[in-house]
Amino acid sequence: MQSSFDLQYIIELMPILFKYLGVTMEMALWGFLFALILALGLALVRVFKIPFVQYIASLYISFFRGTPLLVQLFLLYYGLPQFMPIFIGMDAFTAAVVGLSLHFSAYMAESIRASIIGIDKSQMEACLSLGMTRLQAMKRVILPQASRVATPSLMNYFIDMIKSTSLAFTLGVAEIMAKAQMEASSSFKFFESFFAVALIYWVVVLFFTRIQYLLENRLNKAY
Amino acid sequence: MIKVSNLSKKFADLAVLKDINFVVDKGDIVVIIGPSGTGKSTLLRCLNYLETPTTGQIHIGDVTIDAVSHKAKEVTALRKQSSFVFQNYSLFANKTALQNVAESLITVWKTPKSEALATAESILIKVGLTDKLHAYPSQLSGGQQQRIGIARAMAAKGEVILFDEPTSALDPEWVDEVLAVMKQLAVERQTMIVVTHEMQFAKEVADRVIFMEDGYIVEEGTPQQIFEQPEHHRTRAFVKRALKQS
Ligand SMILES: Nc1ncnc2c1ncn2[C@@H]1O[C@H](COP(=O)(O)OP(=O)(O)OP(=O)(O)O)[C@@H](O)[C@H]1O
Ligand SMILES: [Mg+2]
Repeated sequence: MQSSFDLQYIIELMPILFKYLGVTMEMALWGFLFALILALGLALVRVFKIPFVQYIASLYISFFRGTPLLVQLFLLYYGLPQFMPIFIGMDAFTAAVVGLSLHFSAYMAESIRASIIGIDKSQMEACLSLGMTRLQAMKRVILPQASRVATPSLMNYFIDMIKSTSLAFTLGVAEIMAKAQMEASSSFKFFESFFAVALIYWVVVLFFTRIQYLLENRLNKAY
Repeated sequence: MIKVSNLSKKFADLAVLKDINFVVDKGDIVVIIGPSGTGKSTLLRCLNYLETPTTGQIHIGDVTIDAVSHKAKEVTALRKQSSFVFQNYSLFANKTALQNVAESLITVWKTPKSEALATAESILIKVGLTDKLHAYPSQLSGGQQQRIGIARAMAAKGEVILFDEPTSALDPEWVDEVLAVMKQLAVERQTMIVVTHEMQFAKEVADRVIFMEDGYIVEEGTPQQIFEQPEHHRTRAFVKRALKQS
């Protein structure tokens, strides 16, 4: 069967898909927030070389960087309930947010750690010489400087995360990709449906790339 | 009072400090001189535990710490008793002059912020930086940055200020303004231990000069003794060379 490209269909589909963008963005925002908190913890554990815990952190990072996100989502949502009944009640949205957080925290931890290590050692020494603890030094001097270094790459991970939320449809989350899939299989206009959803992702990513650019400019002016 | 006993420091197999003993009374200005690589910086850094000594006791104010049995709490307590002026300033890059100076008061001494900032401002005025309170380090000359470095050390309420070659990273034009601030501190009898190659400063300001070589204290005495009647031939050789250069 061959049919011609249906622009009209795309134009009509756009507002319908757009309604589901909220779910996509909600997943990305929650996912990023939790990933950031986790990543900071992981990075600090590794920077401070906390006995034993640092090895667990390394193992964690290695696992979540070394396996596909889709596999991790399946393990979490379809696999875990088999052994741990508390996970049976977990809804797909939660599972997706948790999976995205775990996955991205591993990458973000490494980029936060690299930016902490990149801060000149003399900054930590100056703090210590005044009687500050290493934790105080981290909070007041090192992290503020490291966050400036880390922001561009963290923003990249955020953008990457927005795109990765599309995998949540495999768990049954009613987000924008799932809706496109549904529309496609009822209209048989597969190309148009997926092209429409691609366009929406693209515009969203362009929007956040712009924000990233403005943020970087502001940070460069800070001091 | 500061008392250092049997202090030694090794980096792997390299013995950098060997059985260092000395006392500094409150209000004394002690200058440490000696050839490059003899362990002067390492000694100062050990006093502040930026470097952990291999053996020995350090006593500053009301804190005594032993290298062999030291605990993290003691290290923090010791560091509160002294502050450090670094060769390359090491100002907090993300903080203004005012914030740099106020930081130890706020974080270490838990002084209310407004009070800490007022104290910091008065110290910066004292070192001649009234118009740079809100400047970031990157916007300032080396001399200005080092004066902030000294102001930051002054604010820290320590018993003693440790200076590690505070003027040697500076362009010559900024050296005098930094030395002037240090001389002012000396007049106020702020206890100081200063590592420097500025022999003129040592002669004028020091109560006592320590000559170090090869990880040992070779000789110590008044500037007059060290510069004019050194007992040890190595002191004599070093002083002769150093004075000729300056
Ligand atoms: N972290 C370190 N690891 C290994 N060796 C070190 C370390 N720090 C210093 N040293 C060595 O210890 C010796 C003493 O160094 P130190 O910096 O204390 O000398 P210094 O008297 O301050 O010299 P200068 O006048 O050049 O500043 C040198 O041989 C140096 O290479
Ligand atoms: Mg040195």
